[in-house]
Order: sequence, then structure tokens, then C-alpha cells
Amino acid sequence: MKKATLFIVYSVIMRTVLKLFSGTKLIHKENLVYRGPCVIVGNHNSHLDTISIMAHLPLRQLAKTHPIAAGDYFGKSPFKAALTRFFVNAVLIPRSRPKEGETGPDPIQMMVQVLEKGDSLLLFPEGSRGEPEKFQKFKRGVGLVLEQCPDIPFIPIYMKGLGKILPKGDPVPVPFDSYMRIGTPIFPKGRTAEEIVSEVEQQIYMLKAEFD
Amino acid sequence: MILKFDLQAFVENKETLIVISLIFGILVFATLLFWIMGLVRPNANIGELKMRTKSWWMMATIFVVATVLDPVISFVAIGALSFMALREIASISKNVREEDRKILIWCYLAIPVQYLFAYYKHYGLFLTFIPIFMHLWIPFMLVLRGVTENIGRSMSVLPTQLMLTVFGVSHLAFLLSLPELEGFKAGGRGLLLFVVFITEMNDVFQFTWGKMFGRYKIIPKISPNKTWEGFIGGIITTTVVGYFLRFLTPFSGMEAIIICLSVAITGFIGDVVVSAIKRDVGMKDTGNTIPGHGGILDRIDSLALTAPVFFHIVYNLYYLK
Repeated sequence: MKKATLFIVYSVIMRTVLKLFSGTKLIHKENLVYRGPCVIVGNHNSHLDTISIMAHLPLRQLAKTHPIAAGDYFGKSPFKAALTRFFVNAVLIPRSRPKEGETGPDPIQMMVQVLEKGDSLLLFPEGSRGEPEKFQKFKRGVGLVLEQCPDIPFIPIYMKGLGKILPKGDPVPVPFDSYMRIGTPIFPKGRTAEEIVSEVEQQIYMLKAEFD
Repeated sequence: MILKFDLQAFVENKETLIVISLIFGILVFATLLFWIMGLVRPNANIGELKMRTKSWWMMATIFVVATVLDPVISFVAIGALSFMALREIASISKNVREEDRKILIWCYLAIPVQYLFAYYKHYGLFLTFIPIFMHLWIPFMLVLRGVTENIGRSMSVLPTQLMLTVFGVSHLAFLLSLPELEGFKAGGRGLLLFVVFITEMNDVFQFTWGKMFGRYKIIPKISPNKTWEGFIGGIITTTVVGYFLRFLTPFSGMEAIIICLSVAITGFIGDVVVSAIKRDVGMKDTGNTIPGHGGILDRIDSLALTAPVFFHIVYNLYYLK
């Protein structure tokens, strides 16, 4: 049921809408075909980032890929949380880890569990959406997750133009050209969390540089 | 409203059939030529030419299918071309400020309106809607946004983009709305086919002549590939081709020569104007929608200017009674 819904919403409707509205062009989309759990990382400027990645995932991976969403924003009410879980296939996590002495779910462990189950993650290391075509500092979470799962690769994606179509704080979409450049899967085996984060950042910067 | 294949009328119309066969004949010839060149001299650098030919196949097929089918489809197809061209130019333009996002919506909304005027053959509104009403409305909307920094630039950039991608291109559609003339069978479709074919061949001829004999550059800072040899060779060849294709039009021999010369020169102007815009934003091609050609705009830059020039010459010569 959920699988069928995701297929119709993303692979059919959203893919068509994006194509008509912004002529979304995928460069090296073959890199998205990775069987097995992986962590898809991209730059984040718009809600469309999640949607357009989901819309272009191969079918067998669509229902197995879980975007990571901030629990305080997308889980404001139980209704919104249920919607996000169902229609976005998201995993809602708290923005920060519990401090010492506190109890509560650990976002890093939640993400690791998804990967151990054999599913994939889609996350934006910049955290919140930034201004169109600009990068924010990458956060450590992705490094901490990948450090614990040494056999799982990350797939970097650079998206251009989506932030202009639907930027933060403006609900009206305006057509612009958009591009997604997908990098090859990279296995960060044996590196520390910090090294992994800077590797992720560097990979996405390199994809961006290929445009300029 | 029923959409129909107008195939019978199309097959009966020998003129268009000849030109369409000619288009695909040229493509077959080019494909074979580059294929053989690749076999004879495997080291020859013709990858780009091959890619271009492949794209031409696709564009020619889409164009021919859209022209042959019901006029409604032709209008929608040409309107979609305007939409993609406007989106492309708005996406590369660094002169579009963040505040102009919302104004762009007005520009996009102008597309269906302009094409409806063309479809319903409302010549007066078709001609005035963008040059007068949109040129009034866009600056006013910009003023209402209340950000004055660089507002003058936006006031001129946005309407200019509309003129190029919507007003200019929509003349192709209005050709289909022209009334029938006595003794001229090919009609609007013939004229559409003629101007598109002549314009695109002009691009190809200027490119080819320039590659083969080009020495003296016309405007090296804007378009280093544009040479006097390419320009002159191009307009002459285009005019010769147009002269022999005049059975698609109501033109006499002399008229065909003058009109083809104007189209060829205008095509060159459109090409260099868009080149200059691209230089301004530091870009080689305006997008990468069409492999080997760059973006939509790179292919229709000349068409955006030749279509209205051709249209108004023809309109004033034959349809203004």
C-alpha cells in the first residue's frame, strides 16, 4: 500500500511535474542505482530536494529509502508526523543527541538502525535549508553514522536550481531550470567521523565545480 | 474540440511533403557522411557534429510531427517552446534579482494569453499585448514590490526576455492563423515550414562556411566563430535555397530573394545578441537541454528574431488588404 503510494506520488506524478515545470535534468543517473543500503547526501536549499531525489530513485529503492527529517518541524503534531512518515517515507529524528544524564532517542543510533535493517538514508548534512545556490557548514551527523557502518557507501548529489523554484519561506513555486548531478558511491571505510564529513563536503563541492 | 490527424490533407499537400522529405533527406545525408568520415578517418574530430546531427533528427521529428498534427497541438508545442526558452533565459540571467521571482510568474502567465490571441486570430491584441500591456504591467508590479535597488535593470531585462522568447516565437504560431489566400495552397503551414527551415539552414550554412573558410572575424569579443566568410557564404546559400523553396510561399522570385536575405541577416543578428547575453553571464551554452547544441535558446535565438521579421514582411505584402 505504502509502496504503491510512494510509486504513484514520486515516480509518476512528481517526476512528470518536475519535468514539465523545471525540465529537471539528471546527470549520471546510473550512479543512483546502488543495490543495498547506502546514504544519499545532497546540498539542501528547498523542500524540492527531497522530492526530486525520491522522484528519480529506481523503483526497488524507493520504498527502502528514508529521508531524515527534523522531528520538531515535521513532527509538530501527531497528524503531521504520520503524514510525513507515510507520504515522505521519512524517519523523524530529534535535532540533537541527548546530553549526558538525559534519556531519549539518540538520532545517530536511529539512523544506524535503519541502515542495519538493510534500508537506505537520504539526508542533508547542511541541516536546515539554506539560501539558493549557497552552501552552509556541513554537520557531523553523517560522519558519525557512516563511521559506525563501515561497509555502507554514501552517494553525493549536487542539486542546482531547485532552491530558486521553491526557496525557504516562499510557498509559491516559480519555474526555473534545474539539474541534479549524481556522484559515484564512495566507501569511507576506516575513517573518522570528521574525515568522513569533510569527504562528503568535498565530493559535493566537486560535483558543483563541474557545473561552473 | 476534437483533435485529429490531418494526414490526408497533409499527403495531398505536395509542397509540404517535398520539404519534409528534403529535411529528412539532408539528415540522412549528414548522418551517412559523418558515419563514413568516422570510418575513413577514425581520428577526425567529428564527435560534436555527430551529436548535433543526432539532435537535429530529434528536433526535426518533433517539429514535423507538431506541424502535421492538429493546429491545437502545433500551438501548444510552440507555446511550450516559448516556456522552455523563457525559463532558460530567466535561469541563466544574473540580472534577475531575488525580488523578481514573483514577477517572473507574470511573465510565464503571459505565454498562454499571447498564444490564445494567436489561436483566436486576434491580430491587434496579439501584436500589442506584450509590447504595450506587459511593458506597462511588469514595471508596475516591480514598483509594487518596493525594492528600488537595480529596479531599472529589472524593468528592462524582464520585458526584453518576454519579447525575445514569447513575442518573437509566437509569430510562428500566428502564421498558422493566417487566412487562406486564393491560389496559394501551402498556406500558413507552408510559411511556418519555410521560415523555420530557412532560419535553421542559415545557422548551419553560416557555421559550415565559417568552419571551412572563416578568416576575418566580425565581432571576436562576442562570437569568435563568426566570420565574414561564414556570414556572406551563409546568406548567399540560404537565399539560393529559399529561392528554390519558394513554392511553399506566395512569393515571386525577386520577393523570395529579398525576404531570404532579410531572414538570413536577421538570423545572424539574433544569434549574436543571444551570444552577447551568454557572454555577460559567463556561459558558453545557455543550457544543456539539446546534446551538442547547448540549450533551447541556442537553437531558437535566431528564430526569435527571424519569425517576426518574416511574418510582418509577408503580412504586409499579402494579407493586408
